[in-house]
Amino acid sequence: MPNLVEQIREALSMFATVDTKPALIGGLAVVAHSVVRATKDVDFLLEAEAADPVHDALTRLGYQCLHRSMDAANYTRGTEGLDLLYAHRPLARRLLAQASERETPMGRLRVISVEGLIGFKLQGYVNDPTRTRDLDDIRALMKIHRASLDMQQLGEYFALFNQQELLQELTA
Amino acid sequence: MATKTQTALGDIGLEPGSGVVLVREAGLPYQLPLANADPIAEWISLMEVVQMLCPAWPVRDKPMLGKEWKL
Repeated sequence: MPNLVEQIREALSMFATVDTKPALIGGLAVVAHSVVRATKDVDFLLEAEAADPVHDALTRLGYQCLHRSMDAANYTRGTEGLDLLYAHRPLARRLLAQASERETPMGRLRVISVEGLIGFKLQGYVNDPTRTRDLDDIRALMKIHRASLDMQQLGEYFALFNQQELLQELTA
Repeated sequence: MATKTQTALGDIGLEPGSGVVLVREAGLPYQLPLANADPIAEWISLMEVVQMLCPAWPVRDKPMLGKEWKL
């Protein structure tokens, strides 16, 4: 599976070139938090100030921008995809700053906390309830990390999206 | 006759046709404890199999939806 690994290595190199330190979110971050499942989702949380230089760099690498807003952007290059979420609100900025760094076969990667990842998965699910994959990921992450989760932080995320009942269901 | 099979969890003896490896890699809602295995390395191993079975992976054809961006 060299293409995907190479794609991520290339993206990490590009981020270093534009002097920004994103954090892995999305499906691959779910994997990094020990829920191993098939995914080709390459998603990064990025400081909003880096959106323009990263856009230019991705364009130079041959990516096409499908969509870009102040919150997110979607890029494709042939059969490869790469999604960005921009951290411009205090919560996302804090989660980005607190991302932990780890060595991987693709190089040194920063990974968002499991609580933050659940928060972003919840945001994705609320935005598009047909994406049941997000809900499945939340269930799996909460099951595996049940003993160590910061439930107060999780409660804040679920309250932010008016999903307290869902949290009760997930923790029952 | 049991054969030695290399897995991320070490060499395990499997009876031919036991299907144990396939259970782990067929996407069933079941996961063996990872113990000290690196999940990213496990994912790379999994995706090698997935890519052989499904060379053409669906690519996003519509942007992220929604208006609830609060994080």
